[in-house]
Amino acid sequence: MSNSVDDKVKTFDTRTEAKVPVESPLAYSYRRSGAPAPGEGSGVVVRERPFLGHLVLRGGAIILDEALREVLDISLPGEPQALVFDASGERSVQWISPDEWLLIVPGGEEFELENRLREALGDAHFAITNIGGGQTLLELEGEAVSELLMKSVIYDADPHHFPVGKGVTTVFAKTSVILRRSSETRWELVARRSFADYIYRWLLDAGEEYAIGIVR
Amino acid sequence: MSQSNRLAQGGRIDRSRELSFTFNGKSYRGHPGDTLASALLANGVDIVNRSFKYSRPRGIVAAGAEEPNAVIQLGSTEAAQVPNVRATQQALFEGLEARSTNGWPSVQRDLMGVIGKLGGQFMPPGFYYKTFMAPASMWMTYEKYIRKSAGLGRSPMEKDPDIYDHLNRHCDVLVIGAGPAGLAAALAAGRSGARVILADEQEEMGGSLLDSRELLDERPADQWVAEALEELAGLDNVLLLPRTTANGYHDHNFVTLHERRTEHLAETAPRENGRRQARSRLHRVRAGRVVLATGAHERPLVYGNNDVPGNLQAGAVSTYIRRYGVVPGNKLVLSTSNDHAYRAALDWVESGREVVAIADARPEPVGELVEQARAKGIRIIPGAAVLEARGQNRVTGARVARVDLEGFRVSGDAESLDCDTIASSGGYSPVIHLASHTGARPTWRDDILGFVPNLVEGVLAAGGTQGVYAIGEVLADGWEAGSRAAGDTGFDTVEARLPNVGARNEGKPVALYQVPHEKPTLRGPKQFVDLQNDVTAAAIEVATREGFESIEHVKRYTAMGFGTDQGKLGNINGMAIAARCLGRSIPEVGTTVFRPNYTPVTFGAVVGRHCRELFDPERYTAIHQWHVEHGAEFEDVGQWKRPWYFPRRVEGRMETMHEAVARECRAVREKVGILDASTLGKIDIQGPDAREFLGRVYTNKWAKLAPGRVRYGLMCKDDGMVMDDGTTSCLAENHFLMTASTGGAAAVLEWLELWHQTEWPELEVYFNSVTDHWATMTVTGPEARKLLAEVTDIDLDREAFKFMDWREGTVAGVPARVFRISFTGELAYEINVQANYALNVWETLIAHGEKYDLTPYGTETMHVLRAEKGFIIAGQDTDGSVTPEDLGMHWAIGYDKPFSWIGKRALTRPDTARTDRKQLVGLKPRNPEVVLEEGAQIVFDPDHAIPMPMKGHVTSSYYSPTLGSGFALAVVKGGQQRMGETVYLPMVDGQVHEAEIVSPIFVDPKGERQNV
Repeated sequence: MSNSVDDKVKTFDTRTEAKVPVESPLAYSYRRSGAPAPGEGSGVVVRERPFLGHLVLRGGAIILDEALREVLDISLPGEPQALVFDASGERSVQWISPDEWLLIVPGGEEFELENRLREALGDAHFAITNIGGGQTLLELEGEAVSELLMKSVIYDADPHHFPVGKGVTTVFAKTSVILRRSSETRWELVARRSFADYIYRWLLDAGEEYAIGIVR
Repeated sequence: MSQSNRLAQGGRIDRSRELSFTFNGKSYRGHPGDTLASALLANGVDIVNRSFKYSRPRGIVAAGAEEPNAVIQLGSTEAAQVPNVRATQQALFEGLEARSTNGWPSVQRDLMGVIGKLGGQFMPPGFYYKTFMAPASMWMTYEKYIRKSAGLGRSPMEKDPDIYDHLNRHCDVLVIGAGPAGLAAALAAGRSGARVILADEQEEMGGSLLDSRELLDERPADQWVAEALEELAGLDNVLLLPRTTANGYHDHNFVTLHERRTEHLAETAPRENGRRQARSRLHRVRAGRVVLATGAHERPLVYGNNDVPGNLQAGAVSTYIRRYGVVPGNKLVLSTSNDHAYRAALDWVESGREVVAIADARPEPVGELVEQARAKGIRIIPGAAVLEARGQNRVTGARVARVDLEGFRVSGDAESLDCDTIASSGGYSPVIHLASHTGARPTWRDDILGFVPNLVEGVLAAGGTQGVYAIGEVLADGWEAGSRAAGDTGFDTVEARLPNVGARNEGKPVALYQVPHEKPTLRGPKQFVDLQNDVTAAAIEVATREGFESIEHVKRYTAMGFGTDQGKLGNINGMAIAARCLGRSIPEVGTTVFRPNYTPVTFGAVVGRHCRELFDPERYTAIHQWHVEHGAEFEDVGQWKRPWYFPRRVEGRMETMHEAVARECRAVREKVGILDASTLGKIDIQGPDAREFLGRVYTNKWAKLAPGRVRYGLMCKDDGMVMDDGTTSCLAENHFLMTASTGGAAAVLEWLELWHQTEWPELEVYFNSVTDHWATMTVTGPEARKLLAEVTDIDLDREAFKFMDWREGTVAGVPARVFRISFTGELAYEINVQANYALNVWETLIAHGEKYDLTPYGTETMHVLRAEKGFIIAGQDTDGSVTPEDLGMHWAIGYDKPFSWIGKRALTRPDTARTDRKQLVGLKPRNPEVVLEEGAQIVFDPDHAIPMPMKGHVTSSYYSPTLGSGFALAVVKGGQQRMGETVYLPMVDGQVHEAEIVSPIFVDPKGERQNV
C-alpha cells in the first residue's frame, strides 16, 4: 500500500489476510473470569460475535440512504432508534443520532464497503469511520434476558415496549452500551472494547441467578 | 414458654406450625404469619427496649412502619447483623435471633436507667447544642458516649454474605400501598391494560382490610382482598411487589422501591437451585403516573407516662387481635377522640377480655360503633380522657378525668381505673411522606384534623392519604385514581365494579393532641410526643419559650422526628403542642419536611451490585493481559488501568518503585523502551472544513500542515486557559487524526461537538472517537529505529521519515500507522494497529527487542521523562488558570490567524497580560537528593513573618536518574523573568527547601535526541 496522499480522505484497511493471531475484546475476560457453559437451566445465553466490521456513517439521511440502497440494498432507518437488517440478516444499520448510523457487517467486508460507499457518495458531505477494532457485539438469548437487562440498563427493556428492530444507546451499570433487539428471542449489546471486560463480568454476576451460560 | 396472650382462634397465622426464635437470648415460640412484634406480644414480652435519653422501659405501641420503640438488632452471627429493624415489620422465621438495640446489660435491668433518671435532668431540650457544640474538639468523645447509650443499632463488622440487586422498571401506573384504595386503583388501571406496579410494604397485601370488621358484598373483607389479588396476579400487565416499601419519591415520577425478598425466610438469603439470590432489590421505577394509596397513621394521645409498656395505639390493638390472634393484655382502658378507635374495645371484648372503660373526649359520643359498645355493656365516660398511666414496667392503671378541650384544663375529678393496657387514639394522620419528598408542602384540613398532601404533576392520591376513611368511599376513591392514572397514560378506562359496602354512621371527631393534666406541663408526669427520641410535651414548651418559633427549629432543638421513626407518630402532636404554646393554629405553624427514606434501607440495597470488583468500571487496553502477566503495578487514569511501572526481581527481592522507575528511565535514555499508550484519546476528523475547524479550536496554526505531517496543538477554553493538548496528524487534505490526553479524551470530543453544533454548524466536518479501535505502542530510545526496522516495511530512513511525520505500512505483519512523535525527548515511534492485533504486535516487538534490552515502562517513567523535557500534562501542570503564555508556549499561539479561535479574546484581557502571573518554570533543588513535594508552596522570602506571601507551587516533581538529582516543574509569579533566582519551600515539618528557578527543559534543550 502506498503512502499516497492524493485523496481528500485517507482510507486504510486495518485488517490483514496474513495469518496473524487476533484477540477478541473478551479474550482476556474468558481466561480470567471463565465462561460457564450453557446448560438446560440457563435462562440467559451469551455469545460474542467478535471481529465484525463496524462502520460509523455520519451525514444527511437522504444521501446516506441512497448510497446504502445502491451498495448494500438496505434502506437507511430514518426513524430514531430504528434498526434494520438486510435480507440475509448478516448486515445491519442502526440509527444512533440524527446524523449518525452504525453499520455492522461480516468481518472483512468493511474496507471494501467503505470504499464503495465513498464512491457512491461522491462529493457529498459525510464521514465514514472504521471502528471495528474498538467494539464487540454480544448476543443474548433466553427467558431471563429481559430481567437481566432490567438489572443492567436504565432503558425500558420490557419486551412489550422494546420491539424487534429497535436499538438505543443507554446506560449499562456504570458505563454505556448500544442495546438492540434483532429478533423475538435475541437481544444484542454493542460494547466498547475497553469496557467489554467490565460488561462481561457484570453479566456473569447479574446473570448468576439465571445460570447464565457463555457460548464460545 | 407459653404464648399467654395468644387467642385460641382467629388471626391470619398458620397455627399448624410453630417457629422458635430468640429475643435477647431467651427462646420463644410463634407461628408462620406472625411478625416479630406479634410473636413477642403473644409471649407476653412487655419491654422491648430502653429509651434513648431517659432509659425508660419501652414496649410495642404500633403494628407497622410507625413503630418507634421496637427497633431491634437482627442476626445470629456477626456477618448477619442488621440494625434498626422494626419488629412490627419483620416476619417471623425459624431460628430468628433478635435483641434490643438499647439497654445495657439488659432491657429488664438497665444500668443506664439510673444514669437516665439523673442524666435526664442534664439532658434538657437543646442538649446537643448547649452541651456539645463547644469545645468542638470534644465532639468525638461525646459522640461515642451518645452512640453507645442511644437507641440505635450497630452495623456488622464482617463482610456481608448476601448479594443485592437494582432493577430499573418502567410502568404506566405505580400504585403505592395495597390496602382498599391501592387495590381498587390497581384493578382500575390493570383492567384498562396499563402497565401497573402495585407495591406494598407488608408481608401480605390488603392493608386495613386484613383486620377490618367491615363486610364487602356481605362477606369478610379479606375474601374480597384474596379475589382482587388473584385477579391482579393473573394480569400480564400487572406486577405485584409485596414486602416492598416505597422509600423515596424523586423528581419526574422516579420512585425507589425497596423489596425485601428473603428477609422473611432467613437471616441470610437461602440459595435457590444452588445459586445465590439477591436478598433485597432496589427497584428504580420510572412511572407515568403514581397513585399514593399509603393510608393513614393513627395519632396517639399525649398524656402522662404514655410510654409505659402497655400503652398502645388503638388501631394496633385491633390489628394484633384480628390479624395475629394476639390480645396484648387483660384489662383495657381506651382513650379516644373519635368513633373509629372503638373497634379496639369491641375486638377486645369479643376476645373475651375486659374493657374497663372508654374515655371519650367528646361530650356526647354518637355513632354506630359507640352504640355497639354500649350494647355490649362497655362503660363510656364522655368528655373524658386518660390523664396519666400508672405503672413502671407495665401499665397498672389509668387516671381518667373530664377535660375542657377549649380551655386546655382538667375539668373534673380524676378517677383511677385498674387496667394493664391503655389504648389511645387522637385521630388519623394521612401518610404524606412520599408526597412531601416531591417538595410540595401539605395542607391542613380542619374537617379531618390532618394534613393532606399537595400533589405535583403526575401524582394522584387516594383513600386515607387524602383523608378519606369510610371504606366504601376509600374503594371508590381508589378506583377513581386508578382510572384517571390509566386514562392519563393513554388507556381506555373501564366501568367501575366495586363491592357493596354499607354506609357507616360515624360521629364527628374532636381535636385532641396533648391531654391536659392537673399540673402544668413542665411539672406534671412526662407526656411523650416522640417516643423514639424521648421528646416530651414539656420539651416542646421549653423550646418555644426559648424563642424557637419555626417548627423546623423546634424539631432540631428537641430532636423531634429524628431517627428511624421520622416523626410518623409524633410530628403532628408536636406541631399541635408548639401551636398551642405559641398561640397559633396548626396550619400557621406548619409541618417539617419529610425526606427520603421513608424507612431505613440497608446499605446493601442501596449499593446493589456496584461493589467490590464491580464498584467502578475498569477499562483495559488490548495489551492488558501482558502487563498483568509481567508483574506490572497499575495506576488508575480515569477509569483506565495503566501500567505504572514494571518491578523486577533483582537479587532475590522485588525492586522498589524508585528503583524500577530509575531503571526504566535509563533504559529509554540509553537503549530502548516500550510503552502501552493505547489509552490516549483518538478522534477521527473528516470533512472539507476539518482544517478550518482545527484552526478555531487550537491556539496554533493548521492551514499549512501537509498530509503525512503531525503537529502539536494546544487547546484553550473560551476563558483563554489551557484545556488540553496533543498531536494532530494530517491524514489527507480533509482528514485528520487528533489525539487528546487519556483523562481528557471524552471531554475534548464533547467540546468539539459542542462548538460544532452550537456555534459553527455551517462547517462541514464530523468527529468520531477511534480511541478503542486503535492500540498504540510507543517504542522510544536510541535503539528504537533499529528495533522497529526489524518488523516493519516502512522506510525508517531519517530523511524519508522525519520527526513529526507519520507513515503507514505494516508492523509485525499487521497494517499500521506509525507516528514519529516523542513524549520522551528520545527518538520515538508511536505504532497504531487495530486493537484486535495489538497483543501479538506487542509480543513480536518484545521478542525482537530482547537483543536491544527493550524495557517495558509505565506511566511513572513516562512522567519523569516528559518532565525532564518540560512537556506539560494538562490537568497536572495546568489547573484551569494557566494560559499558553504562562506556559512559555508563545510559539504555539497564532495571534494573527484570520478567525478568532477559542480563547483568543480572553488572552487580550489585562489580567492575562499581567507579567506577574504564575508562570511555568523548572526548579532545581539546591540539595540534589531532595525531591520536592508536588503541591508545595513557594515563597521568595523564608524569613517573612507568617502568613508568608505565597508566590507559586510545585506542579510536577521527580527524581531524575539522568540528572542524578531531584527536579521539578512549578508555576511561579513572574517566574519567566526570575531565571537563576532562589526560591524557598517551607514544609510542614519545619524544613525549608531551597531551589533555583531554571528553564523547564532539563534534558536536551535543543531537541537533538528526538531528531536523530
